[in-house]
Amino acid sequence: MKRRSFMQKIALSIGVLGFSALPFGLSRLFYPKIKAAPHQRIPLPGALADEQAFIEACIGCGMCGEVCPPRCVLFYKHDGATHSNTPYIDPARKGCILCGYCMDVCPTDALTGTPIREVDMGLAQIDRAACYPWVDRGVCGACVSVCPLGDGAIDFEFGNFYRPVVQDGCVGCGLCVEVCPEPSLPIKIVKRLEGKVAKHDVASEKIEQPLPF
Amino acid sequence: MKSTVVILQRHLNKLRWGVLTVVFGMLVLLPFLHLYQTYEAAHAYDLLLPGEKSVSDSMEWLTSPFINDPVEDLNKLKGTTWSATFFGLKLSDPLAVVGQISAGKIIYLPFLLTALIPVLLTILFGRFYCGWICPATFIYELNDSLATWLRKAGLPVSRRKLDFRLKYLVLGMGIVISAFSGIIVFAAMYPPAIIGREIYYAIALDGFGAGMVFFLMTLLFDLMVSRRGFCRYVCPGGALYSLLGRFRILRIKRDATQCNDCAKCNVVCQFGLNPLRDNFSQECNNCTACIAVCPTDALSFTVNVKDLDYQGPGHLGHNYRQKQSKQSKQAR
Repeated sequence: MKRRSFMQKIALSIGVLGFSALPFGLSRLFYPKIKAAPHQRIPLPGALADEQAFIEACIGCGMCGEVCPPRCVLFYKHDGATHSNTPYIDPARKGCILCGYCMDVCPTDALTGTPIREVDMGLAQIDRAACYPWVDRGVCGACVSVCPLGDGAIDFEFGNFYRPVVQDGCVGCGLCVEVCPEPSLPIKIVKRLEGKVAKHDVASEKIEQPLPF
Repeated sequence: MKSTVVILQRHLNKLRWGVLTVVFGMLVLLPFLHLYQTYEAAHAYDLLLPGEKSVSDSMEWLTSPFINDPVEDLNKLKGTTWSATFFGLKLSDPLAVVGQISAGKIIYLPFLLTALIPVLLTILFGRFYCGWICPATFIYELNDSLATWLRKAGLPVSRRKLDFRLKYLVLGMGIVISAFSGIIVFAAMYPPAIIGREIYYAIALDGFGAGMVFFLMTLLFDLMVSRRGFCRYVCPGGALYSLLGRFRILRIKRDATQCNDCAKCNVVCQFGLNPLRDNFSQECNNCTACIAVCPTDALSFTVNVKDLDYQGPGHLGHNYRQKQSKQSKQAR
């Protein structure tokens, strides 16, 4: 009898402990995921423009990743559904340096060889409400100095040495996203729309849809 | 008198293990070489962590005798068994081509040509890829040894027999699903492709992906359902190679005059074939395990497009002698 009551007490204490731990678990479950700076996933340089065509052509061999010198090519490892095992670039982590090795090595030409100024990975869009020089909170110019395509892609505003303005020549390589020191990632790579030059401020986000994935 | 060629074939299994080890080793080595390349490309040796520095140092020690510029020169050897490039020669798995054609519904010739050499070799040598190159085979055979140890330790290891035609169904279903959905499903369920990319993910891109879970499940399938079950009954690649290599010219043949009916070949055959009854069929992956185990060197490679019919019991065995004496009694 004594042993029995002892066991009962142990069971009870475990039950109480478990029950008291329940809210912590539930809060973890129901707490929304923090998405302070959602990372983007942009296509590789030279990728077929049609997303479905790219999925059909890509055999998931991973050679684009294996030749990438800055190791910017990542893969949908356990998400992405139909995209699984296909490559993407997360510009906030590493930008593409437009070396073109991945286009050379791709066996199925899902990444077609393209001259670097004709690559279309998107278009950089700068949030002028966050960029330090645009809100007069300092001098920067990191994005302009890092851009591999020079003046034609991103340049300073006329008469101001530090406010960056994206030009038509931008191919969306994402190096500017990588170097930007502002923690809220004010530069986004958006899809280039036909016959339209992106307006580079927050209000124009309705026109420029960010990539759907 | 047996010829030296036949006797030397006993050692082919060791050669095969060497090849499997080299292929698997390269799959592990190439991501490290790529890490070294990225460190060199960034000119950032001084900024590396101690672990990264040791990777960089060891890879430099390994490659410096052969190359001058690691960033450029190491690009000549890239890829996995799913698709690879050797010094400008691109090679792909035939299953990748089948999957891509069925998903995209277009035939892209340059990619088709990358599978030409593997297809020709498969037509000549049959399912040799499964036994000699496949990086998953390396692990599956070790897994099979583990099964043997588990069995010795008294744990139940199932060796159920299923219908080997199941894998052709898997291949057909894969093609149909690819055609309807536009996704290359083989890329997600073909163990060598999974192994190749998961090793790269693990070494270069912080951690395994979901494919590793699938692969571990196939290992469990092999342990708990059937011996080498995935290769024999599910693998779509194996199905494709079996079909291509149906009329292969290089076959293993049993020499009945040398055979003593010991049945060691049947025990050692992981694909559950029946060398003792001259039954290799298209499923044989030319792994040479039966040749290596044969105590009388009765099994050897021959050039022939068809298996022999059952030749009767081996002449050195008990059954054959009984039969002979019966016949001689009847003759008297």
